[in-house]
Amino acid sequence: MRFVLVDRIHSLEPGLRVVASRRIPPDEDYFADHFPGFPVVPGVLLTEMMGQAAAKALDVQRAPRGKAMLAKIASASFRQWVRPGDEVMLHGEITANTERYANADCRAEVNGKTVAQASLFFTFVPASAFGVELRDTVLEDYLAQSAT
Amino acid sequence: MNTKDALAWVAEVFEESPGRIAEATLRSEIPGWDSLGTLSLIAGLDERFNIHLSEQDIEGMKSVADLLEILRRHSAIEDTV
Repeated sequence: MRFVLVDRIHSLEPGLRVVASRRIPPDEDYFADHFPGFPVVPGVLLTEMMGQAAAKALDVQRAPRGKAMLAKIASASFRQWVRPGDEVMLHGEITANTERYANADCRAEVNGKTVAQASLFFTFVPASAFGVELRDTVLEDYLAQSAT
Repeated sequence: MNTKDALAWVAEVFEESPGRIAEATLRSEIPGWDSLGTLSLIAGLDERFNIHLSEQDIEGMKSVADLLEILRRHSAIEDTV
């Protein structure tokens, strides 16, 4: 399983907010176990989707502090089932943004209804720690489109 | 905020049950006071009290009493009870 859980960025204000989306592929392996006959997206994956979306609003700043990494889930709640094929809209609002940490209030919606919310805490890891060039093709595609 | 409230806040920051944190509690007795705990503390002090400390300042703290002393110095605690 690859772990890019954001398909597309719809709007982005660097350091402030992001709206992105993820269509849930109906053939994800985990649906076989979660749950047989009643497939729903695990809350941890919804949280990760919200975290990846919010991190893009931080990473786009290209600050020397490095890449935003989810460090703490301050709170999370899951309000509706998310099913195979659903398109999840991911809203992230950066509420604190410093050299050492950032906070984001995040919301996931399906068909206009809130399905999950989370308050997330990020730290930063310098790009040099990764040993490879960090690429974010979703972010790159959005920036390329918005530049035209 | 009084001392009791401050101790409850410290417990929340380090994800400990409130009864486990006292002024005399040593840093070494708080499992959550690790690198992430230090960052959480920096964020909490910044956002809740507008107190800006470096990681070096935090590293110098050896106990909850040291932390409460910082809060008192910044008038974030108004009693000593």
